[in-house]
Amino acid sequence: MSFREKIHWVALAGLVAAFGWYFLSYPWEIANSSAGMYAAVWMLLPVTIIFLVPMIAGTTYFAIRTPKEANLKEDEREKTIHLRGTHVAYYPLVLGIWANIFALINGLNYGWSVNILMATLVAAELVRVGAQLYFYRRGY
Amino acid sequence: MAPAPFTNEIKTLRFLAGEMTQGDLGDKVGVTRQTIAAIEQGKYSPSLEVAFRIAHVFGKPLDEVFRWTNDIA
Repeated sequence: MSFREKIHWVALAGLVAAFGWYFLSYPWEIANSSAGMYAAVWMLLPVTIIFLVPMIAGTTYFAIRTPKEANLKEDEREKTIHLRGTHVAYYPLVLGIWANIFALINGLNYGWSVNILMATLVAAELVRVGAQLYFYRRGY
Repeated sequence: MAPAPFTNEIKTLRFLAGEMTQGDLGDKVGVTRQTIAAIEQGKYSPSLEVAFRIAHVFGKPLDEVFRWTNDIA
């Protein structure tokens, strides 16, 4: 398994842990109010920490274990995997934006809007990282 | 995923070149060990540049490293 693939696994675990906690702990009963919006914004702080700590720890650990691989530039296959993953993630991103427009037109408050945007971002990232991991495993 | 329409002799050529490892070949060509493994297994079709670089490492013409297997339409 290459260095970049390992980092992708760490990112996937970090995403699931950070945003899993966020969506399970969010006070949904106040989502349709400005307090709901501020709750979402404040919760981003622990979310960032939960995501970044394993990312930094994982990257450091694997970089120490395989320093040669960590210093290698992305080759053509990895660049293609990167681009294809980003391309696949475009679709949930578009769907999420449409969902957000629909929510705003129908009078849902900023709290819902922020959460729909957050869910969109998380879904797109999960699809991107998941697709890239799939391509890494498949070979391309 | 459809298999690549060509085969390659990289594994044999590595063996004949003093049992060169995939990592060594990757270093010489400028790609990762995993990419060499994917090319050898026919899972990834390299760019023309990487194909030429691989052939150059073994001092062989391109068609002695990669062989087209399907009929060209």
